[in-house]
Amino acid sequence: MTISLGESRLKSTPKILLCLAGLAVFALLPWTMGVYNQHVLIVCLFYTMMAASWNLLAGYTGQVSFGHAAFAGIGAYVSGILVVKAGLNPWGGVVIGTLCAAAFGFLVGLLCLRMGGIYLSLTTLGFSEILHIVINNEYEITRGTMGLQVPGLIENYSKIAYFYIFLAGALITLAVVYRLVHSNAGLNFRAVQNDERAASALGVDVVRTRLLAFTVSSALAGMAGALYGHYMLLITPHLPSLDQQFLVLSMTVIGGLGSFVGPVIGAFSLEILSEYIRAWGEYHVLVFGLVALFVARFAPKGIVGIYKAWRGKYRAATA
Amino acid sequence: MFAIASMNGLVIGVIYALTALGVSLVVGIMNVVNFAHGEFYILAGYFSFLFANALGMPIIAAMGLAVALVFVFGLLVEYTLIRPTYGDDMYSLILTFILSIVLQNAYLFIFGPYPNKPPGWIKGATNIFDLFFYGNQRMAALVAGIAVIVVVFAMIKLTWFGRIIRAASQDRGMAELNGVNTTRLNMLSFGLGCALAAAAGVILAPVFPVTPTAGVPVALTAFVVVVLGGMGSMWGCIIGGLILGLVENLGAAYLSTGYKHVFGFVILIMVLAIRPSGLFGRKEA
Repeated sequence: MTISLGESRLKSTPKILLCLAGLAVFALLPWTMGVYNQHVLIVCLFYTMMAASWNLLAGYTGQVSFGHAAFAGIGAYVSGILVVKAGLNPWGGVVIGTLCAAAFGFLVGLLCLRMGGIYLSLTTLGFSEILHIVINNEYEITRGTMGLQVPGLIENYSKIAYFYIFLAGALITLAVVYRLVHSNAGLNFRAVQNDERAASALGVDVVRTRLLAFTVSSALAGMAGALYGHYMLLITPHLPSLDQQFLVLSMTVIGGLGSFVGPVIGAFSLEILSEYIRAWGEYHVLVFGLVALFVARFAPKGIVGIYKAWRGKYRAATA
Repeated sequence: MFAIASMNGLVIGVIYALTALGVSLVVGIMNVVNFAHGEFYILAGYFSFLFANALGMPIIAAMGLAVALVFVFGLLVEYTLIRPTYGDDMYSLILTFILSIVLQNAYLFIFGPYPNKPPGWIKGATNIFDLFFYGNQRMAALVAGIAVIVVVFAMIKLTWFGRIIRAASQDRGMAELNGVNTTRLNMLSFGLGCALAAAAGVILAPVFPVTPTAGVPVALTAFVVVVLGGMGSMWGCIIGGLILGLVENLGAAYLSTGYKHVFGFVILIMVLAIRPSGLFGRKEA
């Protein structure tokens, strides 16, 4: 899982201009479409936040967390409960929800990151199951499987406004991931991923590096979850479920683990695909699972990896 | 109440130990945590239900065939999915997690969300020391669980194959230098791990019916047992399994039934905070 340094760094001005132009076109997109397609775009942006922040952890530090959806659930439920029961402003709820997810991430990380990768996976899987049990048992507060009704972020519900909120959220997430990966901390991330012992010998604090990545990643998931809750106006235990976790994982793996644009591509393609095969009902999870299994087995670097291999061959052929 | 909760804890603890042994074996030899362990457990339950109910086979034959088929399925999974990931622990985690979701949804597709139950082995209940009546089926499950564990221990401690397993889990490279075909060993031990999950599945299915997602709490508990006992330690699995079975059932009896599976997680947190290498773990885990 080696990643050459700085390969996704935006180097030249034309590239930046191209990105900005693409972003501008994307930002105008919802004005041209109906309410349903606007909804799909918003959900795509939600999954972009989730997949990009999970990728920060799994793709850049090699730590597989199975509790990413659970942290989104913590963000959503903390914000929702504070707004409903304590009358907090929804925006304040989102901020506190994000902070709570970060705090839980920090504590879980503190507990198991000393012990290496497998322990994080086991503990986060357990954490996500426990959160599920707690939400279902404390139905007086969380409304259990019936779902918690929460108010929206804005007075007049409009898909376009939510689209811009989610776009901002996705851009913040991507900016945080980009900044972090292209900083000294990012160098440490990849050093730890490539060779833990060598990194440690060169003075990288392995545990602290992992803890930083895990906390930031959990906080970003919490923010995504809180925003999602206030968009759907209903928070159900499906948000922090293993099915959700699986979707985020497949999006990242199919898009390209450890690449900057991979999770974005994965989130958009899988969410749009799932809208097309909605008629198959619950079985779309099975279909995604088989696709993800196939990609993870035969093209472990996902769509981005396939594209890079193809481009490499093309260049070799033309040169 | 204390007596019956302890008895329940003992029965379930033996099954936890059996499930955890399968996880521990695979971790010890291949350094792979099989996140689909619970789904293999459920698969065996479904197989024994199918063979016994739909095909009318005798229950013992149905159980044996179920375990054998899951063993073969485990070999296939190792060959097709796990083998290419050697040296990249993270990818095997991702692959087995995806596999567990695929299997859960496949079961849902094939068997539906309803609980399925193979027929019991024996009927009736026995009076235990004049304290309470206990179902014979659960007693039989306890005996069968202990029997399988004894067989596994005998195999690991006494046979040639067991010696290879112990050698490879102590020092893989050294075992390889001494002529052990570690690729084939990996395949066999992964299949064996799945077969142990399957054994637990066929033993427990007549007591606790199988549903597509019923394997998740079982697998989670097995993982907690493995961490509690110490990664790769066999005695750790037995002691850890019994502790967890007792704590869960006593907790359910005296504290709260809804939070039964949370007690295991509390133990996991305590282990990680106080003694991360587990009860019998090697220090440098």
